[in-house]
Amino acid sequence: MTPMKLLWLLLIVASAPMVPPACAASGPWEQPSAALAEQIAGILGPGQAHLILRNNSKIPAGEIPAITHSLEEALKAHGVQLSGAESANTIRITLSGNLRERLWVAEIAEGSETHVAMVHVDIPDARPSITLNQMVLRKERLFASPSDHPILAANQSDSSIVILYPDKLVTYALDPAGPREQNRLTISSRRSRTRDPRGILLGDEKGGNTIAIVPGVQCTGADTVPADPGPEHPVPGSHCQDSDDPWPILSPDSTNGSPKLKAFYNAARNYFTGVITPNLDVDLPPFYSAALIPRADGAGLLINGIDGKVQLAESRALKPIAGTRDWGSDFASLHSGCGTGTQIVVSGSGEALTDSLRAYEIPAQEAIPASTPLAMDGTVTALWTAPDGKSILAAIRRSASQGQVDSYEVDRVTANCN
Amino acid sequence: MLRQIVISCILAAVARPISARTRPHYGGTLRVEVEGDPWQRPGGLARRMVLHGLTAIGLDGTARPALAVEWKSENNDHRWQFQLRPGVHFHDGTSLNSTNVVASLTAICGADCPWTAVHAVGTSVVFTCDSPMPNLPALLGGDEYRIALTSAANPGSPPGSIGTGPFEFTGLSNGVLTLSANDSSWQGRPFLDVLEIHTHRSIRDQFLDISGGRTDLVEVPSEQLRQAREQRLTVVASPPVSLLALTISDSGSLANLNLRASIALAVDRGALFNVIFQKQGEITASLLPAEITGYSFLFTADRDLNKAHELRGGVTPPGLTIAAEGGPTMQLSAQRIALNLRDAGFNVQVATGVPQHIDLTLRLLRLESNQPQPGMESILRAAGLAIPVQGQTPAALYTVERQILFSHMLIPLLYLPRAFAISGRVRDLRLGPDGTPELARVSLEDAP
Repeated sequence: MTPMKLLWLLLIVASAPMVPPACAASGPWEQPSAALAEQIAGILGPGQAHLILRNNSKIPAGEIPAITHSLEEALKAHGVQLSGAESANTIRITLSGNLRERLWVAEIAEGSETHVAMVHVDIPDARPSITLNQMVLRKERLFASPSDHPILAANQSDSSIVILYPDKLVTYALDPAGPREQNRLTISSRRSRTRDPRGILLGDEKGGNTIAIVPGVQCTGADTVPADPGPEHPVPGSHCQDSDDPWPILSPDSTNGSPKLKAFYNAARNYFTGVITPNLDVDLPPFYSAALIPRADGAGLLINGIDGKVQLAESRALKPIAGTRDWGSDFASLHSGCGTGTQIVVSGSGEALTDSLRAYEIPAQEAIPASTPLAMDGTVTALWTAPDGKSILAAIRRSASQGQVDSYEVDRVTANCN
Repeated sequence: MLRQIVISCILAAVARPISARTRPHYGGTLRVEVEGDPWQRPGGLARRMVLHGLTAIGLDGTARPALAVEWKSENNDHRWQFQLRPGVHFHDGTSLNSTNVVASLTAICGADCPWTAVHAVGTSVVFTCDSPMPNLPALLGGDEYRIALTSAANPGSPPGSIGTGPFEFTGLSNGVLTLSANDSSWQGRPFLDVLEIHTHRSIRDQFLDISGGRTDLVEVPSEQLRQAREQRLTVVASPPVSLLALTISDSGSLANLNLRASIALAVDRGALFNVIFQKQGEITASLLPAEITGYSFLFTADRDLNKAHELRGGVTPPGLTIAAEGGPTMQLSAQRIALNLRDAGFNVQVATGVPQHIDLTLRLLRLESNQPQPGMESILRAAGLAIPVQGQTPAALYTVERQILFSHMLIPLLYLPRAFAISGRVRDLRLGPDGTPELARVSLEDAP
């Protein structure tokens, strides 16, 4: 052991008795301390021992005195009296960890023999922070997927949420204890899956039904959920059929008084072909996203081409939009009531592990930031306007850190005007 | 006039919308260079892209559905049943069924399979084992047991190159292996159209090619990671996934446990780490990296020459031979270990040519899972020790590992990362849990 390490260990051990009782409220450390002390006492029996503690984990240094105190108390409770370095017995405890868990390891040296004891310690979740500034975007997690299947779209009602996955449409009851699956509709497609799956969810014109569209398939699922049919019992009236029909590309709120635009989707890829109906009298390039934005003379169709260029189709012309350098592939319109009333909320880089959303206004041919970026807890994989138009829903992929799998969630994003 | 032109150009550049990052693009050819055989087991890139296993190892190291959608064990892990995924086809159009899966597995390991028998039962494949195999699903996700069609072969294609993977074999010419996107891949068509793998390229040539923009992805050995970064190459590196280890024969004079323990104490891991491997990875005396178990510090990696002499007890065994599997860096490491052992009183020669008898072998063992039990099994299997690991808790795993290491037939030395340098065209490259690039999800920035 290097002199520096020795000094550090001595400092840790020496600082332990200086912890006042009030600071030593062990909290989360009490249980693992007791469990480890029990194992140590089982090996050592009652008697004296010298305790050495070292921290090889990510536990903050400020927590170490409390842990030391907790361990000392637990050892004493099991009859192990702590003494100085002159003791024949040494308990060397290492606060360690691996990809999945925290691990506390005790090496108990009795003369020339060393025994080992271990306990695992649960790692509490870290809470994400929320950015605050001027016109402020806020996020609220609506749903965290219990599986690592990509979420393509979601619709929320008062007490349930419908989630569209590439191969199923699932309704979850939003119970206080967490989402509970109520029913599911399997989506079978004769087409191969794509590696960047996309899909949309919308209510049908008569209301009461959810329409789900994924490449090559259109499904209708009744929203009226039976009391508790169980996952094996799909809702009566739900069905899927092969379909190459164009996809509605405008969010429901923006269809009021506007032409209903549909776009043909390239089911073998991940973008719209550029062919839309009804025809806007302008040739559109293939694009990933489209949104209708208010203009002085009506509305314009904003598209994000697969070449990364953002253009606005208005007055039978396609106009480039500047200021979109930082835009990702997804955007949706938000009727916030702030500023001009409508903003475009845009994802950042499609590759970044921690993506962001930012609101923009496009008064002319340049996108002007209307909010500061809102940091998301992963990559935005889909973005759409909620049925009320006043919020945005975002599907987020939380990329796997080492030793974990990707996970998906749905966040609702709203704006506060300041 | 010139000033006006310059200003106009600047204004035009400012006004022009600049391309943003977008969803991954489909299309294009990814050029890859490798030093070895892309079909090798484990870790061969072509093998990984063309063939699937019954299971796949997820990023969290657990076995996940692949050609099998679900599985269950019975009789205390002595019998396993894997239900096959429906609607999957080999690249030549042949349907995947339990018969061709069994044929493929039998062709792979014949009479030396880790299971006792494998049978086709309807749409399932059933394994029976004399001893419990709790980690069989993870084992089947490794490179060893990928499923290839055995009943047919493309003219001119390597044997076992018709699979169900995201890419299919289309040609091999002048050392360049060409794989094309499988449009009907059950996982979805990959973004790339073509994968072009230039085989048997020296590391030096790979560095020259990536620096000159003539390729997109090259290998970076651990000992050259620092150099690659100094050359400002874009490097993607894995956590430690390759175990540099010394295997010791237990025959002849080395049947003496104390002599093997003495050898273990005489090796100077610090010198290997600092000098040869340029401080990449981590020093270890444990079979698994610290981040997988959390207890690796319990196995001391310090050199102790006094104890080594003491354990040798004055016995000077007859001359020992050490060999290294791999290229010049491994040879250099073997020479350094030979020097270490001479310091401890052993007479060790580095093998040249094809020696008659090898006492010590320096090897690089691939960790195939970052889950403790299957990970340890993969290391032991690679070392030729097929020992099922059944400990489920860290404490139980530690006990198993301690027993194995106490035999001093396998001496862990260093854990090293796998690394690759990529060109600016490459998007979304991620390395699997064993450090192999996942090329099916890669796309190209400049794809059409």
